[in-house]
Amino acid sequence: MLLSSWWDVRDLGNAVSGLVDALQDAGVPNGVIYSIAALLGCLGIIAFVGATAVINIWVERRLIGRIQVRKGPNRLGPFGLLQPVADAIKLIQKEALQPKSADGVVYSLPPILIFIPAILAFAVVPFGDKMVLADLNVGVLYLLALGSTTAVLIFMAGYASNNKYALLGSMRVIAMLISYEIPSVLALLGVVTFAGTMSLSGVVDFQDTYWSWLIFFQPLAFLIFLLGTTAELNRTPADIAEAESEIIAGFHIEYSGMKFGLFYAVELVNAMGLSAVIAVLFLGGWWTFGVEKVIPGWILFIGKIYAVYFLLIWFRGTLPRFRMDQLMAFAWKFLLPLGLINVLVSAFEVLLWTEYDISAGVILPASVVVNFALAAVLIVGWSKLMMKPFTDVRRRPHLFNEINVPLPGEATPEPAG
Amino acid sequence: MVIAFWTLAALTLGSAVMIVLTRNLLHALLCLILSFVGMAGVFITLSADFVAVVQVLVYAGAIAVLMLFAIMLSPRSGRDNAANMLQLPALVLCGLFAAGVTFTVIETDWREASRGSFDTTAEAIGQALLSPFVLPFEIASVLLVVAMVGAIVLVREDS
Amino acid sequence: MVSSVAIKTEPLVVNIGPQHPSTHGVFRMRVHLDGEVITDAEMVVGYLHRSMEKLAEERTWTQNIPFTDRMDYLAAMTGNLSYCIAVEKLAGIEVPERAQYLRVIFAELQRIASHAMANGTFVNDCGAWQTPLFYMFREREKILDLFEMACGARLTLNYMRIGGVAFEPPDEFWPQLQALIDELPARIDEYDRLLLDNEILVMRSRHVGMLSAEMAINSSVSGPILRGSGVAWDIRKANPYCVYDRMDFDIPVGNIGDCYDRFVVRMEEVRQSLRIIKQALVQLPAGSHTANIPLNLIPPAGEVYSAIESPKGELGFYLVSEGGPTPFRWHVRAPSLINLSPLREMVVGQSIPDAIVTLGSIDINVGEIDR
Repeated sequence: MLLSSWWDVRDLGNAVSGLVDALQDAGVPNGVIYSIAALLGCLGIIAFVGATAVINIWVERRLIGRIQVRKGPNRLGPFGLLQPVADAIKLIQKEALQPKSADGVVYSLPPILIFIPAILAFAVVPFGDKMVLADLNVGVLYLLALGSTTAVLIFMAGYASNNKYALLGSMRVIAMLISYEIPSVLALLGVVTFAGTMSLSGVVDFQDTYWSWLIFFQPLAFLIFLLGTTAELNRTPADIAEAESEIIAGFHIEYSGMKFGLFYAVELVNAMGLSAVIAVLFLGGWWTFGVEKVIPGWILFIGKIYAVYFLLIWFRGTLPRFRMDQLMAFAWKFLLPLGLINVLVSAFEVLLWTEYDISAGVILPASVVVNFALAAVLIVGWSKLMMKPFTDVRRRPHLFNEINVPLPGEATPEPAG
Repeated sequence: MVIAFWTLAALTLGSAVMIVLTRNLLHALLCLILSFVGMAGVFITLSADFVAVVQVLVYAGAIAVLMLFAIMLSPRSGRDNAANMLQLPALVLCGLFAAGVTFTVIETDWREASRGSFDTTAEAIGQALLSPFVLPFEIASVLLVVAMVGAIVLVREDS
Repeated sequence: MVSSVAIKTEPLVVNIGPQHPSTHGVFRMRVHLDGEVITDAEMVVGYLHRSMEKLAEERTWTQNIPFTDRMDYLAAMTGNLSYCIAVEKLAGIEVPERAQYLRVIFAELQRIASHAMANGTFVNDCGAWQTPLFYMFREREKILDLFEMACGARLTLNYMRIGGVAFEPPDEFWPQLQALIDELPARIDEYDRLLLDNEILVMRSRHVGMLSAEMAINSSVSGPILRGSGVAWDIRKANPYCVYDRMDFDIPVGNIGDCYDRFVVRMEEVRQSLRIIKQALVQLPAGSHTANIPLNLIPPAGEVYSAIESPKGELGFYLVSEGGPTPFRWHVRAPSLINLSPLREMVVGQSIPDAIVTLGSIDINVGEIDR
């Protein structure tokens, strides 16, 4: 158990609860205490979000550079650390062009409003045992609701630009976002079934109680949610929104200057938010097999967020991009059935556990084995099924040593090699 | 608590009025989304957290997008929300409806039933949907599946 | 079924280019869209026309060699080579053995560099954020360093001369070339492992941009596109020039003629080029690197058409001489322009991302198209 003294840095909530107790003893009315505590939490979250939005620019560009066998930005400041500052200054001093026929208020609002769901996601994420801003009972559902509001704002941005390519781009993005919400929901349903609660700190407590990370119990859900996250974040391999090598360049084509900068920043903040969700649900959040008694849990948590973010950057650096219809097919025909099967199997396991009073020591390791086996079999088998039209044709070229021109009507003769 | 309620009520009603008054159909839709969010806030003041979140998820997230697509696919000329001949009859009808609702609200005996403490709403709703109300739940899901299949069949090309 | 009369989609004409997000140069494709599907495509070229063919009529035969660098600027060696072979045929000049072998080595090195660029930008068109491009550029950089050692330039090389090559490569050239040859097979295997079985790449390029063998032959396309469609035709085997008839190498041929086949054909051609370079290094005789031709070369009156296999296809020169120091007619058969003839057939019926991938797989070079 962690100490509860206010100076115990391992859980910053100790300081806040110490302050709350002191104020209560001083006789301050409850409403004021509540708002002070809430304000401190908000300040902490906004500080974190602001810091990571700036740092992530550097992390992403440097890391993508290393994946591409080159140094990233290294001119401004040691190791290029002042690059985000330079980017921000550049974007601020650019002229924020607004097309004359763009819809005034509806054009200016999306860059600002789109930050709201991104930052609100951090309200339910537990950074430590007492470091949750709002421990909602329906935390998981709340996160999904925030994701769906982002879709509406992206459409607003595309529509307000009064540019048919921006509109087409934003409609494609909305179709993609909606399609990928469903496998994400099913993956989270598997997690919630196992943990028995929708509140995020409840999920962390579950992992604490049973001394294991949920990723071991729900590997398939982790993979489905990870892929759903890359799609929700509009990152490669699902970044048709910003596909530069296609002419429909996306919903933020008409935005310039700091408005575009805000879209860029919100992409990074969203990435942080969803990485935080994955870290909480699957990687134990602030709980790490007891290490959090030595190193503060919130530092470990931030480390886990960056580990998941590293995965996302790795995807971006290595994989090509899906075509739109292939992306849809991937969501509906691959991730959705896998998610459903995962929910079925998880629900069955939880049923065995609760209804038949099998002890946790038996059912949990058994479910780990079963779930991993299921994940391996499903992924390999289903992808073989989906790739059938692409694997029927031979991939390697034939090698001819002499000239061989097939005449019309003649079948191609068999080559030497 | 009171501040929250009155702010949310003002937001909801204000955006609802803007839906009717604004000229551009898409602006009306955006005001509709705002009123949905206001409603979700009102649900939260009533401690119905599950319903509030589902309101945002379903209404502001999915149904608003559905309406967006519907508006986008309709011809440009039909997107005017301007004044037309039906304004006066609509106003009269709304006035009658408001009178009826106000009368019902004032005359009802709003005794608060003693309820004590209740389980977390998500759990309570889940239990309710799967035990006493399982039949409507299943029928609703079958209806949704039928609607989805019907939509796909309608749009499919003859090939 | 309900007819879709209520929803009318009007055909949309969209320009792809001339400012192309993908690095192919100033090329413009006007595409008629019906929804997401392309119904018609026409290409508009000429944005990079520099009237080389007219300018060449006023310069001597040797002064025209730098023009050939700037046509296909990504494969300057083969451009030079094709022109020099054509003039040698016209003037009946014998090229010494060592010069022939040097020409072969440099032409094959250029093929490797050009294919590295082509495949890198192809995968970039498929969306892979330049990562494979940067990997392949490692090899290209080393080859360009070798070129710089030999002739002082990296891109517009001007290395071949009528009658041989311009300079004997310095002594540091050979160990560095050997080091490159030793390390290249492992690198090509690395690209094979990374790219050839990548499911997303396969899904993006399989059954996309199909060109049947018959269509390919009828449209007179050449190079990796022709070979990708299943036709084993290579000018180095059919009409051997330089010393290619003494080299043993294979012609990689694709299966169904889609973008993926052209991609793997180019990868395999890099391996075959490596084979040729190794054999040339072994067989390299001593001797002079150029025949001594007069400074003011005056070939006899006549005409010649000669073609070689450049990385993009059959690069041919049609030269007419009137017995003067400058050509009367200097015409280039640019492979990129001819390879674009079946573009409409390849692109119609697909969506725009597929059209971009198809264009990437044809590997055009606008400097060559427009001259």
